Amino acid sequence: MTAVDETRAPSAEVGRDRRRKEDQHLITGRSRFTDNIVLPGMLHVAMVRRPYAHARITGIDASAAQESPGVVAVLTGDDVKDQQGSLPNAWPVTPEQKAPPHPAIAVDRVAFSGEVVAAVVARTAAAARDAAELVDVDYEELDPVVDLKAAAADEKLAHPDLGTNRSALWVFDSAEAGTGGDVEEAIRDAEVLVEREFRQQRLIPAFMEPRSVVVDPTGEQFTMWSATQVPHILRLMLALTLAVPESKIRVIAPDVGGGFGGKLQVTPEEVITFLVARRTGKPCKWTETRSESLLSGHHGRDQWQKLTLAARRDGTVTGLKVELTANMGAYLGLVTSGIPILGAFMFNAIYKFPSYRFECQNVFTNLTWTDAYRGAGRPEATFAIERMMDELATELGRDPIEVREQNWIKHEEFPFTTVAGLEYDSGNYEAATARAKELFGYDELRAEQARRRESGDRVQLGIGVSTFTEMCGLAPSRVLGSLSYGAGGWEHASVRMLPSGKVEVITGSSAHGQGHETAWSQIVADQLGVPFEDVEVLHGDTQISHKGLDTYGSRSLVVGGQAVIKAAQKVIDKARPLAAHVLEANVDDLEFAEGRFTVRGAGEGQEGIGLTDLALAVFAAHDLPDGMEPSLDADATYDPVNFSYPHGTHLCAMEVDTETGQSRMRAYVCVDDVGNVVNPLIVDGQVHGGLVQGIAQALWEEAVYDDQGTLVTGSFVDYTLPTSADTISYVTDRTVTPSTTNDLGAKGVGEAGTIASTPAVVNAVLDAVRQFGVTDIRMPMTPERVWRAIQEGRGSAPTPEAAQPHFEAGEPNQDTPETEGGQA
Amino acid sequence: MGMQLEHSFTVDASPEATWALLTDLESVGGCFPGATVTEADEQTFKGNVKVRLGPIAVTYQGEGRFLERDDAAHRAVIEGTGKGLRGLGNAGATVTMQLAPEGSGTRADVVTELSITGKPAQFGRGVMQTVSDKLLGQFVSCVESKLAGSAGG
Repeated sequence: MTAVDETRAPSAEVGRDRRRKEDQHLITGRSRFTDNIVLPGMLHVAMVRRPYAHARITGIDASAAQESPGVVAVLTGDDVKDQQGSLPNAWPVTPEQKAPPHPAIAVDRVAFSGEVVAAVVARTAAAARDAAELVDVDYEELDPVVDLKAAAADEKLAHPDLGTNRSALWVFDSAEAGTGGDVEEAIRDAEVLVEREFRQQRLIPAFMEPRSVVVDPTGEQFTMWSATQVPHILRLMLALTLAVPESKIRVIAPDVGGGFGGKLQVTPEEVITFLVARRTGKPCKWTETRSESLLSGHHGRDQWQKLTLAARRDGTVTGLKVELTANMGAYLGLVTSGIPILGAFMFNAIYKFPSYRFECQNVFTNLTWTDAYRGAGRPEATFAIERMMDELATELGRDPIEVREQNWIKHEEFPFTTVAGLEYDSGNYEAATARAKELFGYDELRAEQARRRESGDRVQLGIGVSTFTEMCGLAPSRVLGSLSYGAGGWEHASVRMLPSGKVEVITGSSAHGQGHETAWSQIVADQLGVPFEDVEVLHGDTQISHKGLDTYGSRSLVVGGQAVIKAAQKVIDKARPLAAHVLEANVDDLEFAEGRFTVRGAGEGQEGIGLTDLALAVFAAHDLPDGMEPSLDADATYDPVNFSYPHGTHLCAMEVDTETGQSRMRAYVCVDDVGNVVNPLIVDGQVHGGLVQGIAQALWEEAVYDDQGTLVTGSFVDYTLPTSADTISYVTDRTVTPSTTNDLGAKGVGEAGTIASTPAVVNAVLDAVRQFGVTDIRMPMTPERVWRAIQEGRGSAPTPEAAQPHFEAGEPNQDTPETEGGQA
Repeated sequence: MGMQLEHSFTVDASPEATWALLTDLESVGGCFPGATVTEADEQTFKGNVKVRLGPIAVTYQGEGRFLERDDAAHRAVIEGTGKGLRGLGNAGATVTMQLAPEGSGTRADVVTELSITGKPAQFGRGVMQTVSDKLLGQFVSCVESKLAGSAGG
């Protein structure tokens, strides 16, 4: 990592690479994850999951399970069908959207492999699991809908009662919206037309802590602990789904071990555990196994993407048309239907397309349902457009960065309204790209690439580019309203001034590993002039943080952090009359800095009065100005005025062994512009982790189903999640163009690495092997796929002799260290 | 998951003797490791079979029948379906068996079209061929010992 030239006051907390204060308890075994919670008399729940992708339930015999030792109850769909409601979908993307009812426990039909058909409650987790195997379910197997394209063609139906697999068609057209021209016209008049189809494979979020839920029904309120990203949304949705007063439900997200969108859900298991606890009157716990998690936790991505890019011969882009087929899986989860739509505004990316059309067909299949996964709709968009820009460059025979620069928004053009109707507030693509090229040694690597190509080296070098932006900081409520989303995008915060001078900050952003406690403390320390250590951040319990919209979509800092600033500013405003009273000064003459009120013009060295002293004075309330309420505490609910638009340039060099198809990452450089940075250490952590997840999509991860809809990558043996041993050291750096839409000048960083990195890697591998006639390789780019692509590409093109030095007649053992193994 | 498994073996007995044993379902069923034939007649059989596929142990309970049986050409097609106990999903198999003389003995070619769902499909995929090869090895030695026994007696 390279140092960044950010300027800040010497005493300022914002900008410091503070070690995360929440890590101490996590790494010293004092963590409290949901599964750690043990309550008196607690029962355990195990789910009976169906093995078929599509079947009718013809009979359930639970007698053996019921008689099994320790079993308290067995619940089937029939037992709960009148109470379980239908799991919520909060985002009906069109008024006509079709969706089947979504029961927590299947009643008469099961629509994906892994769906719950019964729940067993027992005195121990082991007894529950053993008994779950004894529940005998008879199924009549139905033909499963597995292939996405076949599903879109309605060849057979995932939900026969629905009459179609097509859930919704969502369209944005710049000509209709008045934000640009007619794309069909641009395509008709195109001098260069690039048409490509890409596959976004299905991924599994694979968070570290498996999902877990505990429900205690023994108090006045039902208390639910859950490994969730969204305690507030969960509470509301439980109330609405189960017709329980919201005021009778308390949801706690204790320590949560990662989510990546995979815990942005209201799950069948949460509803089932709630119902079981209510029925038995005992606290109940359910914790999933890893194979349950991979099978039945929601998946991500899974699209076919058809793109048409129109350009002039000089390389200027004139239009972009996007046709998506998005796999919903078997049901619509909380925001399933909206995920691909989040990409609608991002395919045009940083480029000045004069015309744009986006169509997305949402389709049902008999697979695990999809929903948010890190980036949610935007990685898909960024992948496609960054692939297309490379295709355009190839078509024109030009450098891919040069073609991008010709078309991107220049730094002096901000704020810039895009063809998708968004206003990008700030950015400097030139600066990030220049810095990335410098750190990468772009020209040197291009020269090496040429040398290897010329010498016919077995190991070829490819260079991939991704100049991404994304929209995050979800989101202005009125924009969400216009997209038919079921809620707003504001965030809530409170700042409580304790009499002893300590400060409690309550945030509606529910952290699950991001470092909110540290970052919020830094912000409040600066705002109120109190020590970092004196700030306590409370979150994740709806009785403490009573209001919030939780954590996803890189929203916490730019929305939740801004709410904290607003609340802190209100505290200062509330303290001002008291300070004037104590200092016997006019309110208008007061200045507040570094935690103290002073009187303007009263000279250097005046003592003034500290905010924390005022907190004590308010507590005593002995001598307050007339009419002042004895409190400095303040709340703020902040609704963002715009999305946040981080951007950056990612450059990747891949070495591809042309004989085996094995690829190896040689170098990865990213220069991200996430505006002003509160904590560079946390930002680097987000970037590094994000990069690995995006690179994993390019190279390793895929959820694979067989033709009967059985997930065959159902363990970490087959779902090849990378470890640090699979990755290299990334070079990260930043440029800073402050956001103009929040006081911090910050932009979201949680998803940037994931969004940007996938196309950089894919473009790099392709860049290495295009010379063999290869035009596309499906992700993940396994050695087999790369090898096959090279073979097939060579099959359609004459074999370049120099690329096969091993087999030149009459020259045995000709390999020299210079040509063998890559490195000269 | 559907897959095709191919096996061949030779036994030191005439095609006629081998055919007679292999089509005596009750007798030959006992040769399959883990299998128990509970009922059998000329055309059908019922029973169960316990298999360990990598991490998964599954017992299938089911039935089977001859789809084709050509005693002259020594060719038979047998279809079997089983329900996995403990909610482990179903299995179905269509086995095509062809005998031919080879030297002084008999060569049997067996092609199995196997279809399984659920956990065995999810976790046993990678070991299916290896497991079936091993099971067949045990099956063949059992068949051979029976043939040797009947020839001797």
